[in-house]
Amino acid sequence: MNLLTLLIFTPVLFGLIILVLPSSMRASFKYITLFATLLQLAFSIFIYVNFNADAAHAGISHEAQYQFVQKLPWINLNLGGAGKMQIEYYVGIDGISVTLLVMTALVMVVAAVASWEIKSNLKGFFALFLLLDMAVVGVFCALDFFLFYTFYELMLLPLYFLIGMWGGARREYAAIKFFLYTLFGSVFMLLVMIGLYLSVKDPVTGNHTFNMVQMMDPKNFIDGSVFSILSHQTIMGMPARTVGFVVLFIAFAIKVPVVPLHTWLPDAHVEAPTPVSIILAGVLLKIGGYGIIRICLGIFPDVAHSGAFWLGLLGIISILYGAFNALAQRDLKRMIAYSSVSHMGFVLLGIASQTAEGISGAVLQMVSHGFLSTMLFFLVGVVYSRVHDRDIYHFRGLATLMPRYTVYVMVAFFASLGLPGFSAFVAEAFTLAGAFKSHNINGLLPYWMAVCGSVGILLSAAYFLWTLQRMFFGTISLKGGDFWKGALTDIDWRERLTLLPLAIMALALGIMPSLVLGKINESVLALVQYLQLK
Amino acid sequence: MKEAILPQELQTIYLTILIVLLPFAAFILNFLFLNKSKASGWVSTIAILISSIFSIFVFTAIWNGPVIHVQTIWFTIGDSQVHAGLLLNNLSVLMLALVPLVALPVHIYSTAYMKDDAGYGRYFRYLSFFCFSMLALVVVDNLVLFYAFWELVGFASYLLIGFWFDRPAAVQANKKAFIMNRIGDIGLLTAIIIIYTLFGTFDLEKLFGAEGFVTRYSYIENGTWSFYLNHVLHVPVSRGWTVMAPHTVTQIPAIWQYVAFGGIFLGVAAKSAQFPLHTWLPDAMEGPTSVSALIHAATMVAAGVFLLGRVYPMFNTTELNILAAVGCFTAFMAATIALTQTDLKRILAYSTISQLGYMVMAMGIGAYASSLFHLVTHAFFKCLLFLCAGIVIHQIKHVKEDNHLDIDPQDLANMGGLRKKLPVTFVATLIAGLALIGLPLTSGYLSKEGILVQAFEWAELKGGAFMLIPVFASITSWLTAFYVARMILKVFYGDMNLSKLYPNITIHIGDGGWRYQLPLIMLALCSLFPLFSLNPLAHSGWLTGGLPQYGQYTAGLVELMVPVIINVGSIAMLYYAYMAYIKQRDKVAAQPSLLHRISFNEWYIDAFYQRVIVRAVMTFSKALYWFDLKVIDGLVNLFERIARCIAGAAAWFDKYIVDGLLHLAAALVAYIGGIARRFQNGKVQYYLFSMLLAVIVVFILKILIWNS
Repeated sequence: MNLLTLLIFTPVLFGLIILVLPSSMRASFKYITLFATLLQLAFSIFIYVNFNADAAHAGISHEAQYQFVQKLPWINLNLGGAGKMQIEYYVGIDGISVTLLVMTALVMVVAAVASWEIKSNLKGFFALFLLLDMAVVGVFCALDFFLFYTFYELMLLPLYFLIGMWGGARREYAAIKFFLYTLFGSVFMLLVMIGLYLSVKDPVTGNHTFNMVQMMDPKNFIDGSVFSILSHQTIMGMPARTVGFVVLFIAFAIKVPVVPLHTWLPDAHVEAPTPVSIILAGVLLKIGGYGIIRICLGIFPDVAHSGAFWLGLLGIISILYGAFNALAQRDLKRMIAYSSVSHMGFVLLGIASQTAEGISGAVLQMVSHGFLSTMLFFLVGVVYSRVHDRDIYHFRGLATLMPRYTVYVMVAFFASLGLPGFSAFVAEAFTLAGAFKSHNINGLLPYWMAVCGSVGILLSAAYFLWTLQRMFFGTISLKGGDFWKGALTDIDWRERLTLLPLAIMALALGIMPSLVLGKINESVLALVQYLQLK
Repeated sequence: MKEAILPQELQTIYLTILIVLLPFAAFILNFLFLNKSKASGWVSTIAILISSIFSIFVFTAIWNGPVIHVQTIWFTIGDSQVHAGLLLNNLSVLMLALVPLVALPVHIYSTAYMKDDAGYGRYFRYLSFFCFSMLALVVVDNLVLFYAFWELVGFASYLLIGFWFDRPAAVQANKKAFIMNRIGDIGLLTAIIIIYTLFGTFDLEKLFGAEGFVTRYSYIENGTWSFYLNHVLHVPVSRGWTVMAPHTVTQIPAIWQYVAFGGIFLGVAAKSAQFPLHTWLPDAMEGPTSVSALIHAATMVAAGVFLLGRVYPMFNTTELNILAAVGCFTAFMAATIALTQTDLKRILAYSTISQLGYMVMAMGIGAYASSLFHLVTHAFFKCLLFLCAGIVIHQIKHVKEDNHLDIDPQDLANMGGLRKKLPVTFVATLIAGLALIGLPLTSGYLSKEGILVQAFEWAELKGGAFMLIPVFASITSWLTAFYVARMILKVFYGDMNLSKLYPNITIHIGDGGWRYQLPLIMLALCSLFPLFSLNPLAHSGWLTGGLPQYGQYTAGLVELMVPVIINVGSIAMLYYAYMAYIKQRDKVAAQPSLLHRISFNEWYIDAFYQRVIVRAVMTFSKALYWFDLKVIDGLVNLFERIARCIAGAAAWFDKYIVDGLLHLAAALVAYIGGIARRFQNGKVQYYLFSMLLAVIVVFILKILIWNS
């Protein structure tokens, strides 16, 4: 049994069990889910430990260098004169995906624990939860574009219901907004995918193929096909490859999210229940970043090169725009949602620089943000589940009331604002270093972009510390008076058990960034080299 | 590729690691096990005691001896390796010895000072964490780690300023301190990134050492800043240097050299409280006084000057002049503010800013060694002043609590006449105050006169407007004499103001136990001349001999005249203050003149920041949120509405046009059918009539139309 396949389908297996079990056993569903995610975490750690990080296993554009590969024919239709339709179940990982997998698995465990607060329709919730789990892991492993797209679309369905059924007051608005936004992106992605399929031929079988790694080799493109590098086809007067890149980029940029395609995120977060917020911020956003690296950069390196300035600019805008917006919020969850926009801007900036520092920084930032945003949303959930309020001005002096909770809040806030010793510092510093260096290495980004990006680090300190000051310090003063005072108990063992591993991970990655960088470095170097070849 | 490290070097390295890690171990121990215990104070104190003993060993081993630089790979990113390592040279061991030596008395003092506080354990946890970060900051060998610990000392300072987190003023202050320091941090980060881009390394020695890239192999020419290495470096590989390939050339536009300087300057200005980023330091006095003594007077705020010392070879003449001007301006401005403040700790805070200004100015004029010398002497006497202030404030607070008064224990108006009640404190304050003024026999004289002499010599060579710098520095020195005199006279001389204001109160105050007195005595001894120079009238000490001098010396009349003039002036100021405050001859501070208002309101700088900059940022962020909500989301919603309209139109079209056509066709058929039906009514006459009609029509057509 292939490990990746096991990793992908473990959750859905347990999801089926939950579906079959009678509703009278609903109390056990959360334990089953937790067990499934823990099992998945164990697999992912095993994969991480056994992942070979040397240059001969860098992956990227070399099919032979991927690890834990499984390739099975999936849909084979003989189309007569048009050849054979070749869709494969093709999974495998390289350095770019391996750390994201571990991060995802851990976030899923935390999300499972956070699901304790769900009280209604447990069977549906946990079944959808596990289906979502399968889809996100699948996205990170898929190397066949059709398979990738299947998983990618499969995420939407459970998320729509999870937000729309278990969400807050405006859940239906948020759910439909989220659904339409992402669907808007992926529908056009489908067209590009088909265009790519028709442009690429598997050199061995001679069939058209969805194999993403083969799409990275210009030799596999058919002469005169729509996305061929040499034939310079146009779509509505624009170069076809540029159109393809832009369409894919928009699809992933919605996920990241990149300003101005971000407005689904605050609404979705605010309305989503805590576990879904955790998955959204922790994992979903990274699929955007991952997609940009693997697909936009991988398949359209030439366009990525010529358009790098605009990617960088969008990154900078996201960083600053998200940070300023976070400063203006009074809903804690919204504030954190906007801070996510800001922090994910660093990912885009790093990717745009196309330097080893920048891309490594971007991947590290994704992993780090995965843990930190999970922590942040979980922490918001703690207060919300107790008093059903999140307005920053309705609380003051929580540090006296909930000292342990405040310690975790401070860890999460300071880690997020890039305090050295925590993961975000190394990630953001090297993203900026890569962005600055880019001008000397490949001339893609102007120097000033990095300087602007660093202002985001300043603003993040402002909004996090201001929140600390308003909500946690000072004398106790709560909107709900004594009732709230009674309700706001300090965090219990379950919450502590969830937060502790996240805090430890943030700290561990800050002190030993090589935990991530060691695994990704060769792949990043291979990617940078590949991008330079164009 | 590393040469074997000598055994005695190895011992020094281990000792250094211990020095740094002992406070960290104390932090961990206190954090995990001694949360509520009173033992935490002693754990931290013993850790710092051992650190200070070891630091003296390390100091003697390295001072004027071999430089030790060891490193190991921390992580690899792309093709660059980021190292973690130690760089022990004269500069770093000086700080390495200074920090625990100042921290030790503060720890001892704190065990008594904080003993009644509910957060006793938390306090020592933070304090140990600070010591760890500060010690690590001075010994690390590369810019990434330097930046990391640079921020961590700021973080420790944040925690300690906001130690009493239920006081709104304290949490305002710590937020402000951290954010202003963040401005400096991003400056420093930008500078580091620029340096990394050009030189490809973070290593301090490789960059700024005697054979460093910045020092030797970079130059600005024709608008570009170039790094040109045309030979293999002849440097011992044992120092962890990798041999660079020949002919390495990198270039960036020259403007980025100035940006890098600007970034470093921002870092220095934030951490060492220089204009325009100084306003956090007076507010930081919201923390416990013992913390102010250690962090906000002696050690952390000196980190900016230390940074200047680390990267000094980078600066060109213009940049050094900027440093000199800003330092001098800060020194002068802060001294004028200190003249009128009524809060004891605020006076000291502004005095600290002023003295740090001296150090930055000294760096700017090339008095590198004197600047660091002043850093060391200042650390002792300013720390002492704060500890004394702490005792005074503590005692006034006791009076306040014993008698249930509503007074501000830090206000000078509530003090006076304490000389007899607190004799040890008084003597210690006097020594420290004289050192701060820079009168002979104190350590302050040695370091400050050195700076002033060099300032005059420097300005003489440059001529013109540069003369303003030493002149203002001298004026600042006289102002210092005045505000120190004012402070000491108001606190210790005259009558006890409290007993005048509240005649019925009981006052039981004293110097306190040995844990108060021992630190004062230790620091007072360090504030006198013998520790630094056997000649009490020198302008330097053994310390300056171990550090490079970049300034030029003319050794002329200046060297004799400057100290005389400065000291005569200072003594005159002391006499003036004495006449003014004790003899009440001249009511100096009585008139609220314009100058007084400017000084009392701290030049309105903070008010400007609050009202203009903070407000502008907030308005901007609110405007962007409005934009987000109304424009971007509005656009999304507009699309939604348009889509709905189109859908509505489609539905209408579907219902009325598509379906309508169908219905129309059906209706038409029905209608025609209705007409046709009438022909089939079964009446023979009707059929005949129809037939006839048809025949007639055919004939008409045949005859009239076809034939014509």
